[in-house]
Amino acid sequence: MADGPRKSSYSAADSGDPLATLMRARQLIHDAQAAIEEAHKSVVQQRSASQEIPERELRLAKAENEREELATRLAEVEHQVGRLMTLYVATYQLHATLDPADVQSTIGEIAVNLLGAERFALLLRDEDESALEIRLQEGAIDATWSGGTSYTGGDPLIDASLLDGMLRFGPVENSPALVVVPLRVQDITVGALVITKLFDHKGKLDEEDHDLLDLLGAHAASALFASRVYSRAARKLRTLEGLIKLVKQG
Amino acid sequence: MNVVKTRKVLVVEDSRLIHKMYEVMLRPCMLIAAHDGREGLARLGENPDVDVIILDINMPHMTGLEFLGQVKTMPEFAAIPVIIVSTEGKEEDVARGLQAGAVAYLKKPFQREDLLKIIGRLTINPPAA
Repeated sequence: MADGPRKSSYSAADSGDPLATLMRARQLIHDAQAAIEEAHKSVVQQRSASQEIPERELRLAKAENEREELATRLAEVEHQVGRLMTLYVATYQLHATLDPADVQSTIGEIAVNLLGAERFALLLRDEDESALEIRLQEGAIDATWSGGTSYTGGDPLIDASLLDGMLRFGPVENSPALVVVPLRVQDITVGALVITKLFDHKGKLDEEDHDLLDLLGAHAASALFASRVYSRAARKLRTLEGLIKLVKQG
Repeated sequence: MNVVKTRKVLVVEDSRLIHKMYEVMLRPCMLIAAHDGREGLARLGENPDVDVIILDINMPHMTGLEFLGQVKTMPEFAAIPVIIVSTEGKEEDVARGLQAGAVAYLKKPFQREDLLKIIGRLTINPPAA
Protein backbone atom coordinates (compact mmCIF):
# COMPACT_ATOMS: atom_id res chain seq x y z
CA MET A 1 0.00 0.00 0.00
CA ALA A 2 1.28 3.45 -0.91
CA ASP A 3 2.11 6.00 1.78
CA GLY A 4 -0.13 8.66 0.44
CA PRO A 5 -3.51 7.01 0.91
CA ARG A 6 -2.47 5.66 4.37
CA LYS A 7 -1.68 9.14 5.67
CA SER A 8 -4.96 10.41 4.35
CA SER A 9 -6.79 7.39 5.77
CA TYR A 10 -5.59 8.35 9.32
CA SER A 11 -7.13 11.70 9.01
CA ALA A 12 -10.19 9.99 7.73
CA ALA A 13 -10.37 7.46 10.56
CA ASP A 14 -12.64 9.52 12.71
CA SER A 15 -15.00 9.95 9.85
CA GLY A 16 -15.99 6.26 10.00
CA ASP A 17 -14.02 5.19 6.94
CA PRO A 18 -13.57 1.35 7.30
CA LEU A 19 -10.19 1.40 5.60
CA ALA A 20 -8.97 4.03 7.97
CA THR A 21 -10.33 2.07 10.89
CA LEU A 22 -8.49 -1.00 9.65
CA MET A 23 -5.30 0.96 9.32
CA ARG A 24 -5.78 2.35 12.77
CA ALA A 25 -6.34 -1.15 14.14
CA ARG A 26 -3.22 -2.39 12.40
CA GLN A 27 -1.22 0.47 13.94
CA LEU A 28 -2.61 -0.37 17.37
CA ILE A 29 -1.64 -4.02 16.93
CA HIS A 30 1.84 -2.95 15.91
CA ASP A 31 2.15 -0.70 18.96
CA ALA A 32 0.84 -3.46 21.19
CA GLN A 33 3.38 -5.91 19.73
CA ALA A 34 6.16 -3.40 20.36
CA ALA A 35 4.97 -2.96 23.95
CA ILE A 36 4.84 -6.75 24.42
CA GLU A 37 8.38 -7.09 23.07
CA GLU A 38 9.55 -4.29 25.37
CA ALA A 39 7.88 -6.01 28.33
CA HIS A 40 9.42 -9.34 27.34
CA LYS A 41 12.85 -7.73 27.18
CA SER A 42 12.31 -6.21 30.60
CA VAL A 43 11.24 -9.60 32.02
CA VAL A 44 14.33 -11.24 30.53
CA GLN A 45 16.55 -8.53 32.02
CA GLN A 46 14.93 -8.92 35.42
CA ARG A 47 15.35 -12.69 35.27
CA SER A 48 18.99 -12.30 34.36
CA ALA A 49 19.50 -9.79 37.21
CA SER A 50 17.82 -12.12 39.69
CA GLN A 51 20.08 -14.91 38.45
CA GLU A 52 23.13 -12.67 39.14
CA ILE A 53 22.22 -12.11 42.81
CA PRO A 54 23.18 -15.60 44.03
CA GLU A 55 26.27 -15.41 41.86
CA ARG A 56 27.25 -12.11 43.49
CA GLU A 57 26.48 -13.49 46.93
CA LEU A 58 28.75 -16.42 46.17
CA ARG A 59 31.55 -14.08 45.12
CA LEU A 60 31.04 -12.00 48.26
CA ALA A 61 31.22 -15.10 50.47
CA LYS A 62 34.39 -16.18 48.66
CA ALA A 63 35.95 -12.75 49.18
CA GLU A 64 34.98 -12.88 52.85
CA ASN A 65 36.62 -16.33 53.21
CA GLU A 66 39.77 -15.06 51.54
CA ARG A 67 39.83 -12.06 53.87
CA GLU A 68 39.53 -14.34 56.90
CA GLU A 69 42.24 -16.63 55.57
CA LEU A 70 44.55 -13.66 55.01
CA ALA A 71 43.85 -12.37 58.53
CA THR A 72 44.73 -15.81 59.95
CA ARG A 73 47.91 -15.93 57.88
CA LEU A 74 48.84 -12.43 58.96
CA ALA A 75 48.41 -13.41 62.62
CA GLU A 76 50.61 -16.48 62.01
CA VAL A 77 53.27 -14.38 60.33
CA GLU A 78 53.15 -11.85 63.19
CA HIS A 79 53.59 -14.72 65.64
CA GLN A 80 56.56 -16.08 63.67
CA VAL A 81 58.11 -12.62 63.58
CA GLY A 82 57.77 -12.48 67.39
CA ARG A 83 59.45 -15.89 67.71
CA LEU A 84 62.32 -14.87 65.45
CA MET A 85 62.75 -11.64 67.40
CA THR A 86 63.04 -13.65 70.62
CA LEU A 87 65.69 -15.92 69.10
CA TYR A 88 67.55 -12.97 67.62
CA VAL A 89 67.60 -11.06 70.91
CA ALA A 90 68.77 -14.14 72.85
CA THR A 91 71.62 -14.72 70.39
CA TYR A 92 72.53 -11.04 70.25
CA GLN A 93 72.66 -10.69 74.00
CA LEU A 94 74.72 -13.85 74.50
CA HIS A 95 77.40 -12.56 72.14
CA ALA A 96 77.20 -8.91 73.20
CA THR A 97 79.86 -9.30 75.89
CA LEU A 98 83.23 -10.96 76.48
CA ASP A 99 82.85 -10.98 80.25
CA PRO A 100 82.15 -14.56 81.47
CA ALA A 101 80.03 -13.25 84.39
CA ASP A 102 77.86 -11.24 81.99
CA VAL A 103 77.39 -14.24 79.69
CA GLN A 104 76.32 -16.36 82.68
CA SER A 105 73.93 -13.68 83.80
CA THR A 106 72.45 -13.49 80.27
CA ILE A 107 71.89 -17.26 80.33
CA GLY A 108 70.00 -16.79 83.60
CA GLU A 109 67.93 -13.95 82.12
CA ILE A 110 67.02 -16.09 79.12
CA ALA A 111 65.98 -18.94 81.42
CA VAL A 112 63.77 -16.68 83.56
CA ASN A 113 62.37 -14.19 81.07
CA LEU A 114 62.14 -16.17 77.84
CA LEU A 115 61.66 -19.74 79.05
CA GLY A 116 59.75 -19.01 82.24
CA ALA A 117 62.11 -20.98 84.51
CA GLU A 118 61.52 -20.42 88.21
CA ARG A 119 64.20 -22.84 89.44
CA PHE A 120 67.32 -23.73 87.52
CA ALA A 121 71.07 -24.21 87.76
CA LEU A 122 73.93 -23.54 85.39
CA LEU A 123 76.68 -26.12 85.57
CA LEU A 124 80.01 -25.39 83.94
CA ARG A 125 83.26 -27.30 83.66
CA ASP A 126 86.02 -25.43 85.44
CA GLU A 127 89.13 -24.27 83.63
CA ASP A 128 91.08 -27.53 84.10
CA GLU A 129 87.88 -29.44 83.11
CA SER A 130 88.01 -31.71 86.13
CA ALA A 131 84.66 -30.87 87.73
CA LEU A 132 81.36 -29.20 87.00
CA GLU A 133 80.93 -26.00 88.98
CA ILE A 134 77.49 -24.70 89.89
CA ARG A 135 77.90 -21.18 88.51
CA LEU A 136 74.33 -20.02 88.88
CA GLN A 137 71.38 -21.28 90.87
CA GLU A 138 67.92 -19.77 91.07
CA GLY A 139 65.47 -21.09 93.65
CA ALA A 140 65.79 -24.17 95.85
CA ILE A 141 66.37 -27.35 93.89
CA ASP A 142 65.40 -30.65 95.45
CA ALA A 143 68.73 -32.44 94.82
CA THR A 144 71.77 -33.42 96.86
CA TRP A 145 74.02 -31.14 94.80
CA SER A 146 71.73 -28.12 95.23
CA GLY A 147 73.28 -25.19 97.09
CA GLY A 148 76.80 -26.63 96.77
CA THR A 149 79.67 -25.44 94.65
CA SER A 150 80.02 -28.37 92.30
CA TYR A 151 78.10 -31.20 90.67
CA THR A 152 79.83 -34.54 90.97
CA GLY A 153 77.26 -36.74 89.27
CA GLY A 154 74.34 -38.89 90.34
CA ASP A 155 71.41 -37.33 88.50
CA PRO A 156 70.50 -39.73 85.68
CA LEU A 157 69.12 -37.05 83.34
CA ILE A 158 72.05 -34.66 83.82
CA ASP A 159 74.63 -37.45 83.56
CA ALA A 160 73.10 -38.84 80.37
CA SER A 161 72.93 -35.40 78.81
CA LEU A 162 76.51 -34.56 79.72
CA LEU A 163 77.64 -37.90 78.31
CA ASP A 164 76.01 -37.76 74.88
CA GLY A 165 75.38 -34.02 74.56
CA MET A 166 71.67 -34.49 73.83
CA LEU A 167 68.85 -32.27 75.01
CA ARG A 168 66.83 -34.30 77.51
CA PHE A 169 63.41 -33.87 79.02
CA GLY A 170 62.14 -35.14 82.35
CA PRO A 171 60.61 -36.23 84.46
CA VAL A 172 62.64 -39.37 85.07
CA GLU A 173 63.14 -41.30 88.26
CA ASN A 174 65.64 -39.85 90.75
CA SER A 175 65.93 -36.52 88.93
CA PRO A 176 64.18 -33.24 89.66
CA ALA A 177 65.07 -31.92 86.19
CA LEU A 178 62.36 -30.94 83.71
CA VAL A 179 64.92 -30.36 81.01
CA VAL A 180 68.69 -30.53 80.71
CA VAL A 181 70.28 -28.39 78.01
CA PRO A 182 73.84 -29.48 77.32
CA LEU A 183 76.10 -26.57 76.43
CA ARG A 184 78.27 -27.77 73.56
CA VAL A 185 81.02 -26.18 71.59
CA GLN A 186 83.04 -28.03 68.92
CA ASP A 187 81.51 -31.35 70.01
CA ILE A 188 82.62 -30.84 73.59
CA THR A 189 80.06 -30.49 76.37
CA VAL A 190 81.27 -27.64 78.56
CA GLY A 191 78.29 -27.58 80.89
CA ALA A 192 74.53 -27.78 81.19
CA LEU A 193 71.53 -25.69 82.06
CA VAL A 194 69.24 -27.67 84.31
CA ILE A 195 65.67 -26.41 84.70
CA THR A 196 63.70 -28.01 87.52
CA LYS A 197 60.59 -25.82 87.74
CA LEU A 198 58.70 -23.43 85.51
CA PHE A 199 56.53 -20.56 86.72
CA ASP A 200 52.99 -21.77 87.38
CA HIS A 201 51.60 -19.43 84.73
CA LYS A 202 54.06 -20.81 82.17
CA GLY A 203 52.73 -24.33 82.56
CA LYS A 204 54.95 -26.39 80.26
CA LEU A 205 57.63 -26.02 77.63
CA ASP A 206 56.12 -25.97 74.15
CA GLU A 207 57.40 -26.51 70.63
CA GLU A 208 58.59 -22.91 70.36
CA ASP A 209 60.65 -23.23 73.54
CA HIS A 210 62.54 -26.12 71.96
CA ASP A 211 64.04 -23.73 69.39
CA LEU A 212 65.23 -21.51 72.20
CA LEU A 213 66.67 -24.49 74.10
CA ASP A 214 68.54 -25.58 70.96
CA LEU A 215 69.84 -22.07 70.48
CA LEU A 216 70.97 -21.91 74.11
CA GLY A 217 72.80 -25.24 73.80
CA ALA A 218 74.92 -23.94 70.94
CA HIS A 219 75.22 -20.19 71.46
CA ALA A 220 75.53 -20.10 75.24
CA ALA A 221 78.44 -22.54 75.05
CA SER A 222 80.29 -20.65 72.32
CA ALA A 223 79.68 -17.31 74.06
CA LEU A 224 81.00 -18.76 77.33
CA PHE A 225 83.97 -20.35 75.57
CA ALA A 226 84.85 -17.09 73.78
CA SER A 227 84.54 -15.03 76.95
CA ARG A 228 86.74 -17.48 78.90
CA VAL A 229 89.40 -17.48 76.19
CA TYR A 230 89.29 -13.69 76.10
CA SER A 231 89.52 -13.28 79.87
CA ARG A 232 92.37 -15.82 80.02
CA ALA A 233 94.23 -13.95 77.27
CA ALA A 234 93.57 -10.61 78.99
CA ARG A 235 94.88 -12.03 82.27
CA LYS A 236 98.05 -13.32 80.57
CA LEU A 237 98.50 -9.98 78.85
CA ARG A 238 98.25 -8.15 82.16
CA THR A 239 100.83 -10.53 83.71
CA LEU A 240 103.19 -10.00 80.78
CA GLU A 241 102.76 -6.26 80.98
CA GLY A 242 103.56 -6.42 84.70
CA LEU A 243 106.69 -8.46 84.02
CA ILE A 244 107.84 -6.08 81.31
CA LYS A 245 107.30 -3.17 83.66
CA LEU A 246 109.36 -4.93 86.34
CA VAL A 247 112.14 -5.69 83.88
CA LYS A 248 112.17 -2.08 82.73
CA GLN A 249 112.35 -0.86 86.33
CA GLY A 250 115.13 -3.36 87.13
CA MET B 1 50.79 -4.47 63.01
CA ASN B 2 50.33 -0.73 62.86
CA VAL B 3 49.27 -0.26 66.47
CA VAL B 4 52.63 0.98 67.60
CA LYS B 5 52.60 4.52 66.27
CA THR B 6 55.63 6.61 67.03
CA ARG B 7 55.30 6.99 70.78
CA LYS B 8 57.59 7.72 73.67
CA VAL B 9 57.84 4.73 75.99
CA LEU B 10 59.63 4.63 79.32
CA VAL B 11 60.90 1.11 80.06
CA VAL B 12 61.70 0.48 83.72
CA GLU B 13 63.30 -2.96 83.78
CA ASP B 14 66.49 -4.40 85.27
CA SER B 15 67.14 -7.04 82.60
CA ARG B 16 69.38 -5.94 79.70
CA LEU B 17 67.98 -8.81 77.68
CA ILE B 18 64.43 -7.50 78.03
CA HIS B 19 65.52 -3.95 77.23
CA LYS B 20 66.96 -5.30 73.98
CA MET B 21 63.74 -7.24 73.39
CA TYR B 22 61.63 -4.06 73.67
CA GLU B 23 64.07 -2.23 71.43
CA VAL B 24 63.50 -4.82 68.71
CA MET B 25 59.78 -5.36 69.28
CA LEU B 26 58.78 -1.71 69.60
CA ARG B 27 61.07 -0.41 66.86
CA PRO B 28 59.03 2.62 65.76
CA CYS B 29 58.75 3.84 69.36
CA MET B 30 61.22 6.09 71.09
CA LEU B 31 62.37 4.16 74.16
CA ILE B 32 63.72 5.70 77.35
CA ALA B 33 65.58 3.11 79.44
CA ALA B 34 65.72 2.89 83.23
CA HIS B 35 67.09 -0.07 85.18
CA ASP B 36 65.25 0.34 88.49
CA GLY B 37 62.42 2.37 89.98
CA ARG B 38 64.66 5.16 91.22
CA GLU B 39 66.22 5.66 87.80
CA GLY B 40 62.71 5.40 86.33
CA LEU B 41 61.56 8.42 88.35
CA ALA B 42 64.62 10.39 87.25
CA ARG B 43 64.02 9.54 83.56
CA LEU B 44 60.36 10.45 83.93
CA GLY B 45 61.30 13.85 85.33
CA GLU B 46 63.51 14.43 82.30
CA ASN B 47 60.82 13.18 79.89
CA PRO B 48 57.42 14.36 81.13
CA ASP B 49 55.91 13.77 77.65
CA VAL B 50 56.15 9.97 77.96
CA ASP B 51 53.09 8.23 76.42
CA VAL B 52 53.35 4.81 78.09
CA ILE B 53 55.40 3.23 80.89
CA ILE B 54 56.39 -0.45 80.72
CA LEU B 55 57.28 -1.59 84.21
CA ASP B 56 58.92 -4.64 85.77
CA ILE B 57 58.17 -5.52 89.40
CA ASN B 58 61.31 -7.12 90.83
CA MET B 59 64.09 -4.58 90.58
CA PRO B 60 66.90 -3.40 92.86
CA HIS B 61 66.78 -0.09 94.81
CA MET B 62 63.08 0.58 94.13
CA THR B 63 60.56 -2.07 93.04
CA GLY B 64 58.04 -1.56 90.28
CA LEU B 65 55.15 -1.25 92.75
CA GLU B 66 57.01 1.39 94.76
CA PHE B 67 57.72 3.27 91.54
CA LEU B 68 54.06 3.03 90.52
CA GLY B 69 52.92 4.27 93.94
CA GLN B 70 55.17 7.33 93.61
CA VAL B 71 54.07 8.07 90.04
CA LYS B 72 50.39 7.99 91.03
CA THR B 73 50.99 10.66 93.67
CA MET B 74 52.46 13.05 91.10
CA PRO B 75 49.60 14.85 89.33
CA GLU B 76 51.71 15.60 86.25
CA PHE B 77 52.44 11.89 85.68
CA ALA B 78 49.48 10.13 87.28
CA ALA B 79 47.56 9.83 84.00
CA ILE B 80 50.38 8.11 82.08
CA PRO B 81 49.25 4.52 81.40
CA VAL B 82 51.48 1.90 83.03
CA ILE B 83 51.78 -1.66 81.71
CA ILE B 84 53.31 -4.12 84.17
CA VAL B 85 55.36 -6.90 82.56
CA SER B 86 56.59 -9.31 85.20
CA THR B 87 57.43 -12.91 86.03
CA GLU B 88 55.19 -12.54 89.10
CA GLY B 89 52.14 -14.29 87.71
CA LYS B 90 49.92 -15.21 90.65
CA GLU B 91 46.38 -13.83 90.73
CA GLU B 92 47.16 -11.73 93.80
CA ASP B 93 50.22 -10.25 92.05
CA VAL B 94 48.09 -9.21 89.09
CA ALA B 95 45.39 -7.78 91.38
CA ARG B 96 48.00 -5.86 93.39
CA GLY B 97 49.48 -4.36 90.22
CA LEU B 98 46.10 -3.31 88.82
CA GLN B 99 44.98 -1.90 92.18
CA ALA B 100 48.18 0.15 92.30
CA GLY B 101 47.08 1.82 89.08
CA ALA B 102 48.49 -0.21 86.18
CA VAL B 103 46.21 -0.38 83.13
CA ALA B 104 47.39 -3.86 82.10
CA TYR B 105 49.44 -6.76 83.44
CA LEU B 106 51.46 -9.06 81.21
CA LYS B 107 53.23 -12.16 82.50
CA LYS B 108 56.72 -13.11 81.36
CA PRO B 109 57.46 -14.85 79.11
CA PHE B 110 55.13 -12.84 76.90
CA GLN B 111 54.22 -12.84 73.23
CA ARG B 112 55.00 -9.78 71.15
CA GLU B 113 51.42 -9.72 69.78
CA ASP B 114 50.00 -9.42 73.29
CA LEU B 115 52.16 -6.42 74.13
CA LEU B 116 51.33 -4.74 70.81
CA LYS B 117 47.62 -5.38 71.39
CA ILE B 118 47.76 -3.67 74.78
CA ILE B 119 49.68 -0.68 73.41
CA GLY B 120 47.27 -0.55 70.46
CA ARG B 121 44.30 -0.57 72.84
CA LEU B 122 45.82 2.34 74.74
CA THR B 123 46.27 4.21 71.45
CA ILE B 124 42.60 3.77 70.58
CA ASN B 125 41.21 4.25 74.07
CA PRO B 126 43.60 6.33 76.14
CA PRO B 127 42.75 6.00 79.84
CA ALA B 128 40.85 8.89 81.35
CA ALA B 129 42.94 11.40 83.28
